[in-house]
Amino acid sequence: MSTYTVARDDFKNAARSYIVLGVVGVFAALCGVVFLSEMNIYDDPYRTLFDVSAFVAFVFPLFLAPLAYLSITGDRTDGVIKYTMGLPNTRLEYFVGKLGSRLSVGVAAVVLGMVVSFVVAAATFVNAPSIARFATFTGLALVYTFSFVGLFVAVSASTGKRSRAMLGVFGLYFLLVPFWFGFFPVISITNLIETVASLLGVTVSENARQYIITFSPATAYLRSTDLVYHGVAGNYDVFAQTFRGEELYDQPWFNVLEMLAWGVVGLVVGYVKFDRSELG
Amino acid sequence: MPAIRTDGLTRRFGDLVAVDDLHLEVETGEVFGFLGPNGAGKSTTINMLLGFLEPTEGTATVLGHDAAAESVEVRRRLGLLPEGFGLHENLTGREHLVSAIQTKGADDDPDALIDRVGLDPDDARRAAGGYSKGMAQRLGLAIALVGEPDLIILDEPSSGLDPKGIKLLREIVAEEVERGATVFFSSHVLDQVEKVCDRVGIMNGGELVAVDTLDELREQVGAESVIEATVAATPDASALRDIDGVRDVSVAGASVTVTCTNPGAKMPVLRRLDDDATVEDVTIEDASLEALFEQYTGSGEEAEPQAVAPVAGGETA
Repeated sequence: MSTYTVARDDFKNAARSYIVLGVVGVFAALCGVVFLSEMNIYDDPYRTLFDVSAFVAFVFPLFLAPLAYLSITGDRTDGVIKYTMGLPNTRLEYFVGKLGSRLSVGVAAVVLGMVVSFVVAAATFVNAPSIARFATFTGLALVYTFSFVGLFVAVSASTGKRSRAMLGVFGLYFLLVPFWFGFFPVISITNLIETVASLLGVTVSENARQYIITFSPATAYLRSTDLVYHGVAGNYDVFAQTFRGEELYDQPWFNVLEMLAWGVVGLVVGYVKFDRSELG
Repeated sequence: MPAIRTDGLTRRFGDLVAVDDLHLEVETGEVFGFLGPNGAGKSTTINMLLGFLEPTEGTATVLGHDAAAESVEVRRRLGLLPEGFGLHENLTGREHLVSAIQTKGADDDPDALIDRVGLDPDDARRAAGGYSKGMAQRLGLAIALVGEPDLIILDEPSSGLDPKGIKLLREIVAEEVERGATVFFSSHVLDQVEKVCDRVGIMNGGELVAVDTLDELREQVGAESVIEATVAATPDASALRDIDGVRDVSVAGASVTVTCTNPGAKMPVLRRLDDDATVEDVTIEDASLEALFEQYTGSGEEAEPQAVAPVAGGETA
């Protein structure tokens, strides 16, 4: 009951602020824009879903960061936690309530984004969108949302300072997304692996390299979307280039587990830190 | 069973000893004033009573439960008006109150509570982000009253309240005690506490330096009352001096100044003056409570008068 009350109040408070509505609205609008801009390029909406998946993997965490980083830190700095924890809530109820509320905002963004995408695709693409493919895509994006909201709420639970919470969430984002993906020429995980290997005078097998690369929830998410293109993977070259092997790190179920593990492990660590923290 | 009992309660922050070996007992049904300048350790003590902070040493028992280990049990039967609390800026005051009622599993009527603390019903339905300090404080008081708590902890409750609000606060405290609740009233302003509290404890530098009724404390430090009267004819100064509890009498023309060490001496002095001559004017400056406070807390530099005007603007607490 208390968890529900904490979550409801936090959600209501967030839903009435234009920032949150803006984040959800802008994300949904951008999803629609991707479909609109590709309606004359591809016949199949699932090909555009592939481009949306890159947008989700690289950009969506940047939508989630401002939604989540003050979830608990903000309450501690402005004293709202004294109101909530002055009532008979346990720290676990409070923590789960906060997570539930912020997660539901992320879920709302994904679901609305997919509904907008589906409607735009149905109206503008040559071939009709498949409900099953969109549903699968939505499910995977929601798991990805859980992994990042979990991590960001955990960061927020771990510190009573806004600056640290912000540094924590954006640091995590840059580590797990651009760094892991190798967005920058030199600063990337693959470069780091090679540097460390050459320093140690060892060679890293391709298998080991792939496991390391798929360690990030963003990589895991992209690999898991293989499920969306079941039966049509041969239709576009990009699918063949992206989804290749039979190895464990290529298996969507393994990728989904990875994403869940990121969220769960992050949350456990965050909760333990919060439970030990002092609120005075 | 005392409502609050601490045994050797100690809290250190690094080298700083915020609360030092506190032994305190607050009886069920009393109004206990917890006094001290800012930084004396009052809020740290309260935070330990609530389970927000862990004691470094010692224990605190609140309503029969260990404050650290059974914090939720404590908070179930406790009403809290914390110092420096914040509100969800986009929720209305009434929504905060409804959530508190739900969380406590109580059946209070939110509108009756809003009315009781003098919060305007229209304000109660506005977003709390626009509340003044005084409005937030009234809402906080309403939240503290939810579920007829056995113990009410008020941390600097009068801050931000106007004189009307302070009077209402005193009335509410009296009503709650009448109902059987214990009230723990923390403040750095002595005269807020004086009018409502049965006993006071004075904290300074993390230590409890005095616990007693205010009259007893006054007597212990020899606090004085000064009567100044303007009389039509010069009174008999020696007769006034003979009154028990009078320390000093000085007469300057039509003006008489009598210093009493005992509050009970004031009426006999007035009667004697009235018998001797027509009293044209009289003022009594009661035992300087600030001086009493200063005596216990060393300097009293923090015992400044507090702002009574509500702070306008978007302050949520």
